[in-house]
Amino acid sequence: MTIEYVDAGEAINHSALSSMVGVAPAVTNDIDYERLLKARSESQNWLTYYGAYDGQRYSLLDQINTENVAKLTPAWIFQAGQSGQMAATSTYAFEACPLVVDGVMFVTGWDGWFWALDAVTGKELWRYKHAVPFDVSLCCSNVNRGCAVANGKVYFVTPNAQLLALDATNGELVWQKTIGDVRAGESASIAPTVIKDTLITGSAGGEFGVRGHIDCWDLETGEQRWRTYTVPKPGEPGSETWPADGEAWQRGGGNHWVTGTFDPELNLYYAGTGNPAPDFDGGVREGDNLYTDSVVAMDVDTGEIKWHYQFTPHDLWDYDSTMEMTLFERDGKKLLGHFDKNGYFFVLDRTNGELQHVTPFVDRIDWGVITRDGKVTPRKYPDKEGEPVHFYPGPAGAKEWTHAAYSQKTELFYVPVADVGATATRRRREFKEGIPYWGAGVQVDIDNMAGSVSAFDTYGEEKWRWRIDYPMAASVLATAGDLVFAGTPTGEFVALDARTGEKLWEFQCGSGHHSSCSTYSVDGKQYVVVPVGWGGWLEGIVPGLLGQGHGSAVIAFALPS
Amino acid sequence: MTSTDELMTEERSDLLAKFGLDGQNKASMGRVLATGTIAEASERADGTMEATLRIKEDEVCWDPAILVLPHGGVLELTVINDDKNTHACLLPSNGDQKFLWLVNHSKGRATINLDGPGYYWYSSPGGNDEGRGLTAAIVVQGEVPPEARLDRPTQPRA
Repeated sequence: MTIEYVDAGEAINHSALSSMVGVAPAVTNDIDYERLLKARSESQNWLTYYGAYDGQRYSLLDQINTENVAKLTPAWIFQAGQSGQMAATSTYAFEACPLVVDGVMFVTGWDGWFWALDAVTGKELWRYKHAVPFDVSLCCSNVNRGCAVANGKVYFVTPNAQLLALDATNGELVWQKTIGDVRAGESASIAPTVIKDTLITGSAGGEFGVRGHIDCWDLETGEQRWRTYTVPKPGEPGSETWPADGEAWQRGGGNHWVTGTFDPELNLYYAGTGNPAPDFDGGVREGDNLYTDSVVAMDVDTGEIKWHYQFTPHDLWDYDSTMEMTLFERDGKKLLGHFDKNGYFFVLDRTNGELQHVTPFVDRIDWGVITRDGKVTPRKYPDKEGEPVHFYPGPAGAKEWTHAAYSQKTELFYVPVADVGATATRRRREFKEGIPYWGAGVQVDIDNMAGSVSAFDTYGEEKWRWRIDYPMAASVLATAGDLVFAGTPTGEFVALDARTGEKLWEFQCGSGHHSSCSTYSVDGKQYVVVPVGWGGWLEGIVPGLLGQGHGSAVIAFALPS
Repeated sequence: MTSTDELMTEERSDLLAKFGLDGQNKASMGRVLATGTIAEASERADGTMEATLRIKEDEVCWDPAILVLPHGGVLELTVINDDKNTHACLLPSNGDQKFLWLVNHSKGRATINLDGPGYYWYSSPGGNDEGRGLTAAIVVQGEVPPEARLDRPTQPRA
């Protein structure tokens, strides 16, 4: 006898089985280019990845200040968690910077997650979960650095190189574009930037021998406006820095995987580029290898590279230069400050790329020397096949992707410093698309390491240093309350006196910090928010803490009412 | 939907059986993942796809263990629980994961949307169904759209 099946119905959204509200106020409807240009003046909000186009990570909020920060307490905690299998199960981490618009927080996570939260209570308003292939190529971890907001939408990328526009009120998909080739080893982790009526993104995958590119998309339709490759073809400007008769340019790397900065007066987008590929085997790519490890200043309307400056010519140490290009003024001059993986702080004239000065910002540098006027002399590098070479800083650099802050009030830079070395042994290998293409075996030291938040004036002179036993691996935030906020790999979230470096407050968040905190206010009350969740490219950054527990929390702090 | 069980080599089948990897409470306590059947989704004229996922009695694994799609896009699934225990189904899909309760002897439907190429796991997210064998793969074949590929000559692959 046949028994009829019980009707199990139609599958429902997993979020329907949660307390999620499902809708959020339409707070991004009125966000346009004019508002983004003045993002810092909307101090109650955090409207762009860095808080403003200049990349300073500086807030005008001062309700929380040196006098009262000792009273700071958690206002709420949002725990993300995970159901089911995901790519890079052992390396996922929070690397995002939360954006806040009029009381609504927009946070991205690993593996295609996006959450809209009530910024006062932490309540989940809506979520979006992109399905990310388990086998996507991820050099370093399953992470995402954040989103952009404008015109009623939110924008973010996924590990499988998709660019998504979502309705900011409910998380529903508006449009989707494929922006990279996952079979070639491309992925995406960058927080997009809205400029005018467009969106700027970059690619990841330098460890797989891809050809880096920066892209511009129409904000409303997702139509591509321009693409600029960061490794030139034969015959193009810069191609003379690659072997003339080889295929090296085709796999040259130079990925733009961290958000750039923008000067609206100059109409220039400052994009940092990543390492050349293969990372450690320079023998197959003789030459300076432009535009890897560089800042490229791009006409934001056309993608044309107006000027460039290369921080590590012919890189043999994996010294990406993707990190923030902080825009600031000194004596009426438009400048750009950049703390590079190679251990040096560069200040450039941002109108033309002319070097102003170079200074070291970490204690141990022995890979080579860069003089104050920019002359580079390599000294220790993997050269002979099978011969180990130890060098400082290691491949995660004296500062990884995590960001420094610049206070307009103190005129100091606050830098998360990592001081750890590594050993690389050159092992040449054939290039195969989609397979890691490092050209060496690499092991980062698991002892004899240090870290700090260090304060420098704009000439690179160190003013103070707050020391820890491990490399710093999270971004720093500066506020007009004369405070510097930073999270440590061992879980402490600290507030430092911006003028002295004295620790004024700390809270143990239960997992290491590897993200970017931000600050905002709602109804006159200031909050500081930090995504917490240890993971990422720990074998490069601080392998001595590979065994630390993961986490997946967003924690907001405020003064008691 | 075309079953391709026969494509599994005799040698591999024999070894799975010999070591007790292909069932419940033999060598391992559960069935080792992806040791079961392989099937291909059917493609309709409009490009959408369809397939059936089934839990057989006391096997605590998905049939097929690997479902192959010719390309990314919309997949309509019939999901059947022929087991005498209650399970569930949590599927990947762009926008949100899809969830289906599957009481004993029940049949439901799911519509999911996946990018390609790549593969995804789905499972029964209750107790340790996932570890016992109720975790299976959906493989999406194909390439990314031409406009998303790198401007460079064709490169060697492994």
